[in-house]
Amino acid sequence: MRITMLTLTSLFILACVVMLPSFGQEAQEGSLIGKQVYEESCAHCHGLEGRGDGSGAENLLPRPRDFTRGLYKIRSTESGQLPTDKDLFDIITVGMPGTSMPGWETSLSTNEREEVVKYIKTFFSGFQENEKPPREVRLADKIPYSKESVEIGKGLYVELGCVECHGNLGRGDGTSAPTLVDAWDFKTWPANLTENWNFRGGSDPEDIFKRFIGGIAGSPMPAFQGDTFYHFGLTPEQSEQYAALEKKVEDGEELTTEEEELAAQYFEINDTAATAALDWAEGLEMSPETLKIYNDAMKVVYEKSWHLANYVKSLSPEKRPEFAIGKHVLRSQYIQGELPALADETWNTLEFSYYPLFGQIVVEPRQFNPSIDSVNVKSFYNDTEVVFLFSWDDKTHNTSEEENEETGKTYQDAIAIQFPVRPPKGPTDPKPYFLWGGKKPVYLWQWKASAPDTLTELTAKGIDKAEEQEAQGNFAVESDYTDGKYSLWVKRSLKTDDKKDLQLDVATFVPIAFSVWDGGNGDIDTKRVISSWYSFVLEPLPSTRRFIYPPLVALLSFGLLVGLRRFIQRRNS
Amino acid sequence: MKTKMFLTLTLFLACGLALFVFADNQEEEEEKNLLVFPKAYKTKSVSNGGKINGVVKFDGEAPEMKKLEIVKDKATCGKVDKFDESLVVGEDNAIKNTIVYLMDITEGKDFDAEAKKPEIDQKNCKFTPHVQIVPVKVRLTMLNNDPVTHNVNIADININKQQTRMIKRLRINAMTKPQGPVEVKCDIHGWMRAWVAYVPHPYFAVTNEKGEFSLENVPAGTYKLGYWHETLGNNNKEPVTVEVTAGGEVKQDFTLKMKK
Amino acid sequence: MKKTSLFTICLVIFIVCWIFLRFVIGGIISAPIPNTVIAMYMALIFIAILVHVSVEDSRFTEFLRPVNETLLDDNKRTRRLILVILIPLLLSGYTYSNIAQKASPLGDPRQAHPKPPLDLTYKDEVIDTMQKAHNPYRKYEKEDPELFKEHVENGRSVYYKNCFFCHGDHLDGKGHFAAALNPLPANFQDPGIIPNYQESFFFWRISKGGPGLPNEGTPWNTAMPIWEDILTQEEIWDVIIFLSEYTGYTYRTFGEGH
Repeated sequence: MRITMLTLTSLFILACVVMLPSFGQEAQEGSLIGKQVYEESCAHCHGLEGRGDGSGAENLLPRPRDFTRGLYKIRSTESGQLPTDKDLFDIITVGMPGTSMPGWETSLSTNEREEVVKYIKTFFSGFQENEKPPREVRLADKIPYSKESVEIGKGLYVELGCVECHGNLGRGDGTSAPTLVDAWDFKTWPANLTENWNFRGGSDPEDIFKRFIGGIAGSPMPAFQGDTFYHFGLTPEQSEQYAALEKKVEDGEELTTEEEELAAQYFEINDTAATAALDWAEGLEMSPETLKIYNDAMKVVYEKSWHLANYVKSLSPEKRPEFAIGKHVLRSQYIQGELPALADETWNTLEFSYYPLFGQIVVEPRQFNPSIDSVNVKSFYNDTEVVFLFSWDDKTHNTSEEENEETGKTYQDAIAIQFPVRPPKGPTDPKPYFLWGGKKPVYLWQWKASAPDTLTELTAKGIDKAEEQEAQGNFAVESDYTDGKYSLWVKRSLKTDDKKDLQLDVATFVPIAFSVWDGGNGDIDTKRVISSWYSFVLEPLPSTRRFIYPPLVALLSFGLLVGLRRFIQRRNS
Repeated sequence: MKTKMFLTLTLFLACGLALFVFADNQEEEEEKNLLVFPKAYKTKSVSNGGKINGVVKFDGEAPEMKKLEIVKDKATCGKVDKFDESLVVGEDNAIKNTIVYLMDITEGKDFDAEAKKPEIDQKNCKFTPHVQIVPVKVRLTMLNNDPVTHNVNIADININKQQTRMIKRLRINAMTKPQGPVEVKCDIHGWMRAWVAYVPHPYFAVTNEKGEFSLENVPAGTYKLGYWHETLGNNNKEPVTVEVTAGGEVKQDFTLKMKK
Repeated sequence: MKKTSLFTICLVIFIVCWIFLRFVIGGIISAPIPNTVIAMYMALIFIAILVHVSVEDSRFTEFLRPVNETLLDDNKRTRRLILVILIPLLLSGYTYSNIAQKASPLGDPRQAHPKPPLDLTYKDEVIDTMQKAHNPYRKYEKEDPELFKEHVENGRSVYYKNCFFCHGDHLDGKGHFAAALNPLPANFQDPGIIPNYQESFFFWRISKGGPGLPNEGTPWNTAMPIWEDILTQEEIWDVIIFLSEYTGYTYRTFGEGH
């Protein structure tokens, strides 16, 4: 009996030893569920050991999170801190917009999601070593969204150096953007702040504020910490005085004894506050006095961060343009006389038509990580000509004709607008294949950033079977790249003499599709972003019949009613 | 009898497994840190200590340093030509920026005052020095005297701070545990690189242009001497043993090769 | 209390029927019903009402009473006036909106799951007839579960390297590229997909992709690649196994009819 007991005990010890390394001290049944869920639903991207190296990972950018380093981007906690369980749970629940991480709310139960959070935490020992819970970002003194707040935020955007990466207008086109890599040395792009539906951690000012105070760990986005703010700890008036004194010194002027004393005093205040901020960040014991100095100094930082968050919020439209697939008709509006030039105000009277794009993953080489997600188009026509205005966001301006050292190819930005050679005659008349045609050819206008004033007409019978037309048509072309946005203006006559060209007739619906290349993202040849077929039409002027028939109908029905009454009256009498 | 045998066997297996598990853990630990640190270190006053010095040289033909392309803030950053400093080989094949240190010293002198004020300057968009030793629990200071914004990103220890042109002096959180060397980057100027090692004791030296290093005031005893170089690797697996006598001087040179 | 007139009852029935067709059936229960179909149903209902009220003379008179009253009685003058103005106004408004409406392009008359060819092929090699072709690795499910599991895992790996961009992490057709596609990618979690088709049908759709569709499937629109250019036969069969293993649905098997 005793021997059996001993055997059982030793077996138990053996089991414990085996379990220990993989589950840490919290070896519980719960983690087994978490492990199961993880292996079934997460491991294919995040890897069996949580290193972010699953089979799906290689074609993804941003890469799936590597859980073994404890670097989590989206947290409600302060810089240098691990995320809370709720942070991890929320990300699993809603997913990360703009990435391949979907929300799991419908496919995993609440319990399963909670268990998988526990399991994910076992990949990084820091979660167990931490005795104190992570410190959350304080949201108490929120400054509500207002025009004034946005205006202050706009100034801070420049002062704090946001423009370096995110660009003047926030399109992610800053001068440092092309060189950014993350903690794993993978290429990473600054967020396009004008498309907040792609913000990984949400688009509310609160969400943006948390990214400022907590930083985005592992990415080049810095955290706002007290000592990174200019004259941290000084009041705005003191800061102004101190700045004047500093400037004097810089210019080589002598300070009076009084001024010197003042400068020394301000230096002391700033240094004490900065030291307190470091004490706080390091989690040191702080005396009530130091804590007060820190909290008072941080008020300014929080205030500025709220203003900046409100400014970032203001950069995006209130609503994401609608995605109504296949329903987006590009309606060219008729105007009499001269068509508007690129910079003409007339364009502002029209709304853009929005066409979503996706990576070309049908034919090798493929683009799994597109950098351009839409193209916007407007158009006008008159009796003889049609004019288009295409615009799209691109974080890098690549016009270079230079060959890339590694691949020997030239990468540059470009766009191609695709039509069938002849519009289909009816709904059953086949269109050409949406990827630059097949048996049925397509007619293309291709524009490249290296030749910004020309457009080339192509005829294609497949994505890699395009030929320049022998007879190039007459186009007026203008283009512009400013602050991360391309505008391309193209004018052509409605009819041409070339049989290989598309002829345009009023009120005829013509299929239209787009291909866009971002040289900065390695787009070349078939590697590009594309759209499905949409429709383009020269919108006919509204029929004049609309003023004739309705009154006629009204009159007629009135007459009928009166007649009916007469008829019944007569019959009754 | 049979049950007893089974019992012994099980216990034996359990012990074996436990050993295997712990051995495995240790290896992982070593891989994470590129330097070898003693478990604990006690400071004491050292008198009549010995000295270890030597030269680190490169074996073979030194590759030419790649000139860095300055793509940003050219007015400030482009004033002086910059080169990739991942391997700096000077005259006589001397290797700069190699850390030479004692792996297993547990008692010895304290850091001197200068070592307790580590600084990295970012003048002309280049980190100087390229390799900096920072004692644990000491804050590293970043200087910015350029009229441009810099950004200190040390991803390995989860530090990422913007240093705008107005912030001349920025301090980095101290580390409580020895670790590193960790890579320091500036995200705004992608070419900027430096390394910081957080160390528990002062017996660390970084070689100069002539490849020279010197560890002074070492208490008499036998120690393992290690080196680390960002491109050429380390000798964690086969450290050199040196014997230091009171007031004596030990000379130990290293010859490093390109990793295969 | 005044009794509700027969005319009012009929009018209410007529309007309720229209609301039911337009909003309840064509909206809540399924996709909107085309206007022509609704008009047809409404005409039938109208005829039914007419038949009902005209069966007896007395009932017809009763039915017409409120109409007569409204048209003739002196005390119904206000109601008469309102109707005489309102009816022509509504009719002319309807005419105007009809004329001023913008024309829309005609949609593609697309068949989501068109008829497959007679033979199942990989590149140019004929595997078998569509009816008889079967998944060569399916048998391991019973014979060698370990080996079968390897095929499932290989299918999983193929899926997450190639397919999930459009068909989604959950196999629900909601991958991160899906929103920009037209037609939308297939949703394998839909109970109408896997159980209704044989594995050979899936092999055909995967290997030939969008361009392999007959004309009624609008081959010019779908972004489904021709996977036989990229994947091996085994990889395609494995991913087919993975789809059913993940979703828990079983493919229709030969013999159950089509």
